[in-house]
Amino acid sequence: MEAFGLLLHGFAVLLTGKTLVLMMIGLVLGIFVGVLPGLGGPNGVAILLPLTFTMDPTSAIVMLSCIYWGALFGGAITSILFNIPGEAWSVATTFDGYPMAQQGRAAEALTAAFTSSFIGSLVAVLLITFLAPMISSFALRFGPPEFFAVYLLTFCSFVGLGREARHKTVISMSLGLLLAGIGMDTVSGQLRMTFGTAELLRGINFLVAVIGLFGISEILLTMEERLALRGHAAHISLRVVLSVWRDLPRYWVTLLRSSFIGCWLGITPGGAIAASFMGYNLAKRFAKEPESFGKGRIEGVFAPETAAHASGTSALLPMLALGIPGSGTAAILLGGLMVWGLNPGPLLFVEHKDFVWGLIASMYLGNVVGLVLVLTTVPVFASILRVPFAAVAPMIVVSCAIGAYAIQNAMFDIWLMLGFGVVGYVFKKIGIPLAPFTLALVLGNRAEDAFRLSMIGSGGDLKVFWSNGLVGSITTLALLLLFWPLIEKLLARAGRPRRARPAPL
Amino acid sequence: MKAACTAAALLVVSPAAAGWEPTKPVEIVVAAGAGGASDQMARMMQAAIQKNNLMKQPMVVSLKGGASGAEALMYMKSSEGDPNKVLIAYSLIYMLPLSAKIPFDWRELTPVSVIALDQFVLWDNAAGPKTVKEFVQAAKAASAPFKMGGTGSKREDHVLTVFLEQKTGAKFSYLPYKSGGEAATQLVGNHTESNVNNPSENLEVWRAGQVRPLCVFDKERISYTSKVTETQSWHDIPTCKEEGLDIQYLMLRAMFLPGKVTSEQQAFYVELFQKVTQTPEYKDYMEKQALKPVFLSGKDMLKFLEEDGQLNKSLMTEAGFVAK
Amino acid sequence: MTDTDLEIVVEDPTAPEEDSPSLVGTRTVEIVVSIALLLLAVTLGYDNWRTGISWDSTGPEPGYFPFYLSVILAGGSLYGLIAALTSQDRTSDTFVTRAQARRVLAVFVPTLLFCLATQFLGLYVASFLLIAGFMRAIGKIALWKSLLTAFAFTAIMFVTFDVAFDVIMPKGPLEAVLGR
Repeated sequence: MEAFGLLLHGFAVLLTGKTLVLMMIGLVLGIFVGVLPGLGGPNGVAILLPLTFTMDPTSAIVMLSCIYWGALFGGAITSILFNIPGEAWSVATTFDGYPMAQQGRAAEALTAAFTSSFIGSLVAVLLITFLAPMISSFALRFGPPEFFAVYLLTFCSFVGLGREARHKTVISMSLGLLLAGIGMDTVSGQLRMTFGTAELLRGINFLVAVIGLFGISEILLTMEERLALRGHAAHISLRVVLSVWRDLPRYWVTLLRSSFIGCWLGITPGGAIAASFMGYNLAKRFAKEPESFGKGRIEGVFAPETAAHASGTSALLPMLALGIPGSGTAAILLGGLMVWGLNPGPLLFVEHKDFVWGLIASMYLGNVVGLVLVLTTVPVFASILRVPFAAVAPMIVVSCAIGAYAIQNAMFDIWLMLGFGVVGYVFKKIGIPLAPFTLALVLGNRAEDAFRLSMIGSGGDLKVFWSNGLVGSITTLALLLLFWPLIEKLLARAGRPRRARPAPL
Repeated sequence: MKAACTAAALLVVSPAAAGWEPTKPVEIVVAAGAGGASDQMARMMQAAIQKNNLMKQPMVVSLKGGASGAEALMYMKSSEGDPNKVLIAYSLIYMLPLSAKIPFDWRELTPVSVIALDQFVLWDNAAGPKTVKEFVQAAKAASAPFKMGGTGSKREDHVLTVFLEQKTGAKFSYLPYKSGGEAATQLVGNHTESNVNNPSENLEVWRAGQVRPLCVFDKERISYTSKVTETQSWHDIPTCKEEGLDIQYLMLRAMFLPGKVTSEQQAFYVELFQKVTQTPEYKDYMEKQALKPVFLSGKDMLKFLEEDGQLNKSLMTEAGFVAK
Repeated sequence: MTDTDLEIVVEDPTAPEEDSPSLVGTRTVEIVVSIALLLLAVTLGYDNWRTGISWDSTGPEPGYFPFYLSVILAGGSLYGLIAALTSQDRTSDTFVTRAQARRVLAVFVPTLLFCLATQFLGLYVASFLLIAGFMRAIGKIALWKSLLTAFAFTAIMFVTFDVAFDVIMPKGPLEAVLGR
């Protein structure tokens, strides 16, 4: 139990008045940037990084990681209240979180999101505490074929799930993959589908598309249906909080599954985005009534949030231990470490024990304090819904525009956002699902790169995806998931005669 | 008209130091992703400027690594006349317009100063061959071509790989990763046999004893003699020429302003970055990352850029990477 | 901001009854969307074909995946087109009724104007105009409340983004006059 002693030492480093104050400041700032459109975790941390240049490394990293926690918590707020995912990994949260808010269950949805973020991160921090050295060597086993297999797994967990007509899912996914390919192709260094324009050179930014598809189109739909954002959220939320918590044990399978997916994808830099989608899809796939997902089911909030935050947190591990950032925010923190003269890498754990364990201890504290902070502010956020729609709608439009612009400082992106708003509106109305589109847009490029790197490495031999136990089992798992509905049917047929259970009518 | 403006400006300018000064936060535009060598350098300068109070306005790092850095180039090009943006450039300013037909020419920007030169080192896994000779032999003998990791396609790392093939006769398959850090970990994980990373990109895994530097692509050895690992310093790495592999390549790290800025604005930044090169943060950074400290501005810089641009162009042409 | 006891339901007093006539059917929209997607697929497919779609010794060329994806997209939209054209149900569902379309346009047009205004007047002026105008014209909220809310929101955004966090938004002539 060496880790435990070191952790206690870490707490001792932390528990000074000054550090605690910094922590609170960091959390509040973090929630703030998390809620603001277009800022979110990575940008928020990047912007606030210079604030910490004059601090000593431990205080600085404590503050930064608290900003990070705050931003993680804050990101869920806009997704649930306005259907605007501030971060890529919050997209899956909107699927059920926003319908819940529409049904007047905003406080419940927010509590669910915060609680599951907390659980996900906690599991990941525990993992970091006790398994750090072992896991970092596991991450090294990931080469291009392994990465591709993970992306394939994410895609496969998606296909064949929707209620929508098959051809519409196909249209949605292929359109997303196509748009993802616009711009520079990393593997060949060539431009494609840019038609000679400078604006398309950058490619289509995922967040810009998402802000339009979800944020803007939702306003159009709300207006059309004369839906009021009815503010049922004014209950004193302690009751809601407690009732959500009371129900938690019922969802232990979902929470555990999502935590596992999150940790796994976080340390094998597959990323929080893949994790949140996969968490959601698997919860849906193994649910008794998958049709009820997307209509305001609390599990639909638990699953992606737990996975996203487990993964966001465990992404710090490869960053510290190997110097590979598993997420955008981790990459910025990496930059911060360099500024303070700490070089992340295998030796960091040996040479800067104080720092590493101080950071890990601050993850525990920051997470707990952050949860309390956000839960007490739920009523404040939920009360936003009581502002007249005629005032909220234009503010959301402005926020969306700011968000879209801030990502790449490009006016073109505001127009792109508007275009995607219309596309989102029309697609939703004729039943083309948006989820496969967003997933394809965000992972399409990486999946293609990983595939092509694998092909270069193997000289064009597809057997590389079964070349060792690790990649082989992920690929096989992916294919199993793809054909799961079929397999399930076969199993059911084979199993029925033996089972004494009466056949469902 | 322009003359009148300059004259007017001269009237306002009081002796030497005072002159134009930024009135808005200054953006350092990084043509690469987060955590890469350019980003680290930008953050070092941000910290150096802030800690030493070299400028009143804050400096913000803005990452524009989209389209392998082309995003940053187009951004600078379209910001003509805006003195609040500085690009931290490297050899992509020559290579990208050639390989991907990006409508860009560094002459459209205003050169400020060259602040460092970056080295390239041939690395292999610590369990792999110990010298260049053994490495080349192993590469030739291997049944499947050796995998060489690098950053981007048809860029520095790729060019070096092609020349390595030409000089040794061994075959390599080049794997373009998104960043040097990724190339480093992939080498450690044995997914590639070698890479040609900059020192900074492989520093930590070298210190951990996971990779081995075989030779440095320069005329002379790196000057830093303090120990980096338990037994070796940067100076202990032989040059590739010493090892019988006559390839040299150094990459510039330089600052540019957008086009059509005034000479006062240019002068301000020349002075600013000159001051940066005298800070302890800069010196420390140079040594740690094994960069060659240089400072060129004005005519010297232009001459350097012209020559360097020519050299890169001929390398790219020879490697067959120029798009038709 | 505004009184919290205001009714939140969006009520457009001029809106006709719910049985407002259908403006366009879902089938028609599906046909239009399918054709648009088909055209997009053909354009992108052609561009990728030019880029190179073969599978050479080092794996697929840059245009390989996008090309086949555009083929799949074309296939999907063609299927959608045929399905929509041959659908038995001639009296298909309503896509939007006239009343709905009017309400949607009531947000869409201001949003479009807002984007245009951002391009020429800068984001902050545009956002002030949008919020004040929308609240007044659509929400029928008192003029002073609308102006005050719009100003407060815009000012908060300006302070947060431009001043506190150095995230520079597009500016127009007004800011130039004020020296920002």
